[in-house]
Amino acid sequence: MNKIHLEITVNGEARSMMVEGHRSLLDALREEAGLTGTKKGCDVGDCGACTVIVDGRPVNACLMLAVEAQGAEILTIEGLQPDPDTLHPLQEAFMEHGASQCGFCSPGILIMAKCLLDRNPLPSDEEIRFGLSGNICRCTGYTKIFDAIRTAGRRMAAARAQSVEA
Amino acid sequence: MTKHEFRIVGKSVKRQDVIEKITGEGRYTGDYHLPGLLSGKIKRAEIAHARIRRIDVSRALAYPGVKAVLTHHDVPRVLHYGSPHPRSASCTMDQYILDDRVRFWGEGIAAVAAVSEEIADEALDLIEVEYEPLPAVLDIDAAQAPDAPLIHDVGPGGNLVIPPVHIERGDVEKGFAEADLILEGEFSGGRPVPTYMEPNVCIADWDGSNKLTFWTSTQTSFMVRGALAEVLGLPLNKVRVLVDHMGGGFGAKQDLFQHEFLCALLAKKCRRPVKMEFTRRETFLAGRSRHPFRLWLRQGFRKDGTLTAREMKIVYESGAYGSHSPGVTNVGTASATSLYRCENVRLDGRAVYTNTPIAGAYRGYGVVQTYFAIDIQMDEAAEKLGIDPAGIRLRNAVREGDIAPSGHPVVGYGLEACIRHGIRAFDWAGKRAADRHDPANPAIRKGWGIGCEMHGSSAYPGIKEQGNAIVRMNEDGSVTLLTGAAGLGTGAHTALAQIVAEELGVPFETVSVVHGDTDVVPWDIGAFASHTTYLVGSAAKMAAAELRQRVLARAAEKLQEKPGHLEMVEGVILVQGQPDRSITVAEAMGPSRGIPAEHLVASGSYMPTKSYSFAAHFVEVAVDTETGIIECRKVMPVHDVGRVIHPVAAQGQIEGGIQQGIGHTLTEDYVIDRTTGRSLNAGLVDYKMPLSMDMPDIETVILEAAPDPGGPWGAKGVGEDPIIAIGPAIANAVYDAIGVRFHHYPITPEDVLNGLRRKAAESSARD
Repeated sequence: MNKIHLEITVNGEARSMMVEGHRSLLDALREEAGLTGTKKGCDVGDCGACTVIVDGRPVNACLMLAVEAQGAEILTIEGLQPDPDTLHPLQEAFMEHGASQCGFCSPGILIMAKCLLDRNPLPSDEEIRFGLSGNICRCTGYTKIFDAIRTAGRRMAAARAQSVEA
Repeated sequence: MTKHEFRIVGKSVKRQDVIEKITGEGRYTGDYHLPGLLSGKIKRAEIAHARIRRIDVSRALAYPGVKAVLTHHDVPRVLHYGSPHPRSASCTMDQYILDDRVRFWGEGIAAVAAVSEEIADEALDLIEVEYEPLPAVLDIDAAQAPDAPLIHDVGPGGNLVIPPVHIERGDVEKGFAEADLILEGEFSGGRPVPTYMEPNVCIADWDGSNKLTFWTSTQTSFMVRGALAEVLGLPLNKVRVLVDHMGGGFGAKQDLFQHEFLCALLAKKCRRPVKMEFTRRETFLAGRSRHPFRLWLRQGFRKDGTLTAREMKIVYESGAYGSHSPGVTNVGTASATSLYRCENVRLDGRAVYTNTPIAGAYRGYGVVQTYFAIDIQMDEAAEKLGIDPAGIRLRNAVREGDIAPSGHPVVGYGLEACIRHGIRAFDWAGKRAADRHDPANPAIRKGWGIGCEMHGSSAYPGIKEQGNAIVRMNEDGSVTLLTGAAGLGTGAHTALAQIVAEELGVPFETVSVVHGDTDVVPWDIGAFASHTTYLVGSAAKMAAAELRQRVLARAAEKLQEKPGHLEMVEGVILVQGQPDRSITVAEAMGPSRGIPAEHLVASGSYMPTKSYSFAAHFVEVAVDTETGIIECRKVMPVHDVGRVIHPVAAQGQIEGGIQQGIGHTLTEDYVIDRTTGRSLNAGLVDYKMPLSMDMPDIETVILEAAPDPGGPWGAKGVGEDPIIAIGPAIANAVYDAIGVRFHHYPITPEDVLNGLRRKAAESSARD
């Protein structure tokens, strides 16, 4: 089968790979780039476990062909930490609140929550619920996920306020 | 129980396994890749009941990239337990790896291994199958008809999976004769599926010594090892089962699935590793559901609400194979002996085969169905007798010393405390007296309901369980716990590490957990029956206690003190009463004065009976009388789980159970076409679960009302309880809102509108 040369930037790192035209971005990330943190829960765009950020927008990686991402900047769960020794405030809050149980949905939800907070730093409860409406979690009842996102949003806003003052 | 100041138990320490989950580094089975890995796929039948007259795989085999194809001609013909508890009576031996007979639409009839998933998929279409159709049995009534076609040659007769379960206590006739009120009703329920987020997946790899290494997403790795070894004719030390992170299971991943055998056989045939990963659709077709059911219930009550007699008949629909039906039928039927005390009971439980997908183990194991019926009829009795629904439950709530479903007296009963707490905290009386109308929307009627439950930790007496743990203190004072308990997402490993740290007297952070490798960790029965903390936690505590003695003995030598004078606190060994004389555990274990460094190992084995956890759920619903939509607005689950090891993890279990329970009650039903046996909604859009927009406010209350001496510091199980009481609580709240009784789940908007119409017609007929 003909393969296509794909160049993308994933988590700040330029990647070059050969992919078949029918390959999804999800399979390319998991199998070609070895980034297995992004999960495959349905492969048909229903569950949100494969949510990644492509050029600033959240997408279900299973619904995007890898070649459609040609030249794009992609953020996956592996790139959420600001550095290897520091967790993102969302990750910290997920730990504290018990927002991750089996954890299979967590990478997608964390990425979606990052998108949400990037656009809307202090979302209302309704906005958080709506923001996660494409992400299925079957373990937590969502309560602790909502708590964690609220906590992270508050902390990130406070940190930004502090850095502006300084 | 002696007064104990807890340092680690009861605190929501950071879960050790979560860091990997939130960074994406945690490896789930599907994340593993091996050199030369092939992809395996299963050809699934598109007919509910048939004989395979001919199956031709020649075109598939010739397809470039295909490495092997297996049909029933190529696999060992061994009857096996679809569900791997061969040590117990909870499962039935009625499955072949592949058969010349199809028993449900979606059953695997052939398997392909190829160099890519796409090629394997394409090859499936090249397999030609000729069926001889057989009449299909597609529901409980059809299965029980006198002339019903038989689905299995094994079994006690008809389409029964096991001989009927009969339980009789007291004198039922006398009980009914003493009743002032007798209620009788029929109940039924749909086919909810667990819908774990990680589709089933496994990888098989054989080495040159004919040893199988098998990665799989399972709750019961040692049972997988046992069943694979039995069917493949291997000793247990030639099958190594590995499971690291798991994306949920909720009971269903206790079964040994057809694809797991096929994956091992394909890998053996190809002499290359093979991965088999379910599509989401396959998790419906070939996964396991809760048992659909039909139930008849008759109960007698005195004027004051006291139960005098209970008679129940339940039929569980097992689907095409027995799986957990024996366990579910026994546990479910026995559950009706209790919750609300009743001296005179007569119970009949059955499970029948049908040509539908397999029902198996699922959180709430047989009890969701029975308590749904009992708790709704309790409400009906309260209304007829003019008693408050919470009051009638208090009057009948199971008490200390009553015979539990397990046949043993209840030790520690928390139900009364749960109900009483909820009455106050939920403002039950105030809410029930409030206006049902919603000023914001005239179509809305609000209602409030209660449901109760009790559930055992451990599968005793159905299974005589054993929990095991090995605890090792390394030369530097760090601690390793080896456990076979699966980490399906509940936080069990963290709880076990907390128990070890607490008992040993070391900081929590110094304990690490090794799990998920049957070649390394001690034997484990698997993670199910709400028993990991209770059962393995007790074993871990025993092992830690023994290790503590051995570490203190070694320290005593170094400190030249009697071991009895020493204590270990936060990793420091102190001479009692002499605070200036102490050494760290690292110093105790390390080399000094001619004593070489040492590591010390202790093990614990624990065979429990059973404890019971309790809950009362209070809910508020809003029913839209124009659309029929029921919105669950508020839930207050009040649970007694004995000693809480990790409060946040326990709350998480409860809130997740409520999510699934709301789904079962209102929207979730895996629908099988009643004429063809075909699946109608095998996907996450058409199978509708409550998601972020649907979840109510949940105000979780955990009481430590009734610790059980069988668990570590009185801890009991929590995993299954929360899914049970929510269903009847919602159904009762819906009645409170609109005055229409529903005896089934899910209660759909269509049901609500039809119910309202019926009610209106009845009241106008009366006028």
